[in-house]
Amino acid sequence: MLPKFASVIAKTREEALSWLSSLENPRIIAGGTDLMVKMRAGKQYNHVIDVAGVPELLTLTETDEGLSLGPAITHARLSISEPIIRNARSLALACGLVGSPQIRNMGTIGGNLANASPAADSIPPLLIHDAVLVLESREARRRVPLEEVIVAPYVTSIDRKELLSSIEINPLRGYREGYRRVAKRATWAISRLGVAFAIREDKGRFADVKLAIGSCTPMPFRPKKVEDLLRGAEKSEVIITEAIRMALEEIKLISGIRPSYAYKLPVLQGILEEVLRG
Amino acid sequence: MFIGQDITRVDALDKVLGTAAFAHDLKKDTMLFACVVRSSRPHAMIRKIDVSAALALDGVVKVLSHKDIPGENLFGAIKKDQPFLAEGRVRYKGEAILVIVGITEEIARTASGLVEIEYEDLEYISDPFLSMRSPILIHDGGNLLSHRKVIKGDAGKGFESSDVIVENTYSTTWIDHAYMETEAGIGYTDERGHIVVASSTQNIHYKMKEIARLLAIPPEQVRVVQATTGGGFGGKLDVTVEGYIALAVYHTKRPVVMRYTREESFLGQTKRHPLYIEYKTGARKDGSLTAVEVNIVGDTGPYISYGETVCLRAAVHATGPYEVPNVLVNSRMFYTNNPVSGAMRGFGVPQLALAHESQLDEIAQRIGMDPLDIRMKNALKRGSLTATSQVLNHSAGLLETLKGIEPFWRARRKQGPGSGFGLGCMYYGIGNTGISNPSSCYLTFTPEGRVEMHSGVCDIGQGSDTVLLQILCDALGMEEMGIDLVRGDTDTSFDAGSTSASRQTYISGMAVCDAAQKMREYLEGQGYYSGKPLKDICREAAEKGLPVFNGHFDPPTTAPDPETSQGAPYATYAFATHMTEVHVDEVTGVCKAVKVHAAHDVGRAINVSNVKGQIYGGVAMGVGLALMEEFIPGKTESFDNYYLPTSMDMPEVEAIVVEDREPTGPFGAKGVGEPALIPQAAAIVNAIKDATGVRMRQLPCDIERLKLALEKNKVK
Repeated sequence: MLPKFASVIAKTREEALSWLSSLENPRIIAGGTDLMVKMRAGKQYNHVIDVAGVPELLTLTETDEGLSLGPAITHARLSISEPIIRNARSLALACGLVGSPQIRNMGTIGGNLANASPAADSIPPLLIHDAVLVLESREARRRVPLEEVIVAPYVTSIDRKELLSSIEINPLRGYREGYRRVAKRATWAISRLGVAFAIREDKGRFADVKLAIGSCTPMPFRPKKVEDLLRGAEKSEVIITEAIRMALEEIKLISGIRPSYAYKLPVLQGILEEVLRG
Repeated sequence: MFIGQDITRVDALDKVLGTAAFAHDLKKDTMLFACVVRSSRPHAMIRKIDVSAALALDGVVKVLSHKDIPGENLFGAIKKDQPFLAEGRVRYKGEAILVIVGITEEIARTASGLVEIEYEDLEYISDPFLSMRSPILIHDGGNLLSHRKVIKGDAGKGFESSDVIVENTYSTTWIDHAYMETEAGIGYTDERGHIVVASSTQNIHYKMKEIARLLAIPPEQVRVVQATTGGGFGGKLDVTVEGYIALAVYHTKRPVVMRYTREESFLGQTKRHPLYIEYKTGARKDGSLTAVEVNIVGDTGPYISYGETVCLRAAVHATGPYEVPNVLVNSRMFYTNNPVSGAMRGFGVPQLALAHESQLDEIAQRIGMDPLDIRMKNALKRGSLTATSQVLNHSAGLLETLKGIEPFWRARRKQGPGSGFGLGCMYYGIGNTGISNPSSCYLTFTPEGRVEMHSGVCDIGQGSDTVLLQILCDALGMEEMGIDLVRGDTDTSFDAGSTSASRQTYISGMAVCDAAQKMREYLEGQGYYSGKPLKDICREAAEKGLPVFNGHFDPPTTAPDPETSQGAPYATYAFATHMTEVHVDEVTGVCKAVKVHAAHDVGRAINVSNVKGQIYGGVAMGVGLALMEEFIPGKTESFDNYYLPTSMDMPEVEAIVVEDREPTGPFGAKGVGEPALIPQAAAIVNAIKDATGVRMRQLPCDIERLKLALEKNKVK
């Protein structure tokens, strides 16, 4: 059963910001597929602000510099959005794999980020697109790279009084891009492993490689040393093997040895082989 | 003719429209809500219970403990050994200790969180191997619940005469029934002062008797009604909410409703028995089986439930559906402090099917024989002797199911790497094992000229109501379905026994035939078959009192010999062959069941759609058993960490219905409910071997186990 709580439905961004500044210990709900589960398990949030219907948070704009995503856009919408499929294929794929149809119809990209699960499907694709979050409060507005926002599993540096007002991403065109994930069943499952990748090749060389790995370390991460190694390198089994070795080493460096790695590391190795070989 | 037709189910319209009243939907004015306070420890003495804070909460009506039970505080389907409410000691995490009754569900649940219980922990007997050597006794009589043997011929000599011997160990784990509807019900006192309980259940008369014992009142003063029930699979055979509801009604004199949350259902209710199976198979070069030796060790949890039943049924089915001249089976069931293991679709046989079907494939591989050919060579057929030396005199259609699969098996082609095909066969005794398990019913007329069937059979979604009506129509030779069904109520029906053991079509179907025979004779005398309208017959009869026709059937069985289990434990057996195509992703360890051909000898399909529905559902459950379902005591809490297959995990299923008619069954019918599940996990595991070369002997064969096995195989 849900504990008792008070809620307001914000109609505009302005209204959401003013509720955020005036209510004590506010909590934003944007779909509720995580928040409601926590509340049902006994978490008490006294003041809940629903931003799922705020028009400014539902827009998706495409400019020359990049894409700006409204954080209240649902996974379902992103998974079939034409500009997303064209500019950020891994994100469309990942959003199409979140939970179940019901969860995808309710859950939002902003909520997925703010929940900051190590297994969040949308985060690895956003990382390879160098996502920047626009965070606003009544008093201030700041732009922070996604990588800096997530500070620990389920912990972000977003202030209680701040509203995630948009997510800006760089399009990747001319890349072979995708998202591979592994789960315990065909759907409606939390990812055991997720890999977002975007690779541009040129005359037998890796012109550019972007990788992000989820569900493996406390926070989804980009193995940037591996990307550096591959950038400009000749595409060969030797370099691929070395790159994978480095990626696995980096994971062990981040997390130490975990029991789940007996499964995850060999699987990651296999997926990276497939991804890099193309 | 109604038999063999796809008659629309009598419950279809209500369910499609959403008007069917499931137990969760039942309401009464002034009703109270009850919930259970459960043990947080697997094994402990209860030192102190402080309910003062709970009682102080506004809206709490009663807090009931074992001291408030006027009758016997023990229940059990086979033996009475499980307390409704713990007395001084708890033996599993989730065991019921108190019942709290409040004016709302929220108040009752809040109050249950305010109860403080002091425990003194005892050693947690966490598996049957610890149980067999621990000095800590879960019950005074020792930790061994049951030891059953099957001895036929001389297994030692059989192995001596074998050209090839294969010996392996298999294991399975706890499975939750995961019915869509959790346990729920409502109770009240009627104008006669009788206690009435309507619940989600598989057996009303059994529960009536348990409530009577609990409250120390005559069973005639208890009425149990089956609400529309959202699935059972064996989990609603044991008393669930019914005892607590009755107790709360008894003490409050008000209507009381109770419904388990999913978490509570996972925590408190029975599970499939985990079995450890050591299996040795001997065969000659030509593929004929010479001997089988099996050691089964099972974890029954702290209370019996259906532990003895599973112990025996697993033993007598241990060889699988094959002629084996020499058999030695030792089946032992131990108490532990894990969840109570109880009845679940197949009663231990799906676990054994994993073992005997894997063994047979290995024998075939060793002697270079085709898996289908070795099954055909050894298949039980009419005239064969089973492991208990029962002669199969009648319906025995295993060969026909194999032949039904044969064209697909011979034409199979692997779709690239990771693709594989596997077979699984099974036989399954219909009804309870070697004991009387009768069904009764009665028929009468309404003054308006309709036949009225009074049935105590619980339709739990499988369709027995429709099937029994079809049987009755044909038995009476009716041209249209002019029958009123009065069902699922101990006040208006006779005991039909439980909806379990795939027995209702066969046994209750025969009881209906028996009653119909008597009604038919009466109608004959009244001129119905010469054209006299039923309306007229009934109107005339109503003046003298409408006649009642009782029906009864108890399948002929013999009690198994206590030492060797030799005998005829079942009157008839169902047979099946499944063939499953899988695709294994060797990088991730993900196995997908792609396509299933499932051939079932059901004797006669009374309702073909119903039979196919059972097969599709059985395959889905088999996919779960094989690939993902695993309840881990102390860890699994809900569907968040218990993986049940979704529609996306379902293979395409082609059901093949084989009808080797059973002369002792209604119009030749046997049963299909459990058989539909039994061979599927085995077929999947055999297909994984075919696809990858890796033989998985532990279920579930989830992505992690499979990947680790694939890695190990690579190193080799």
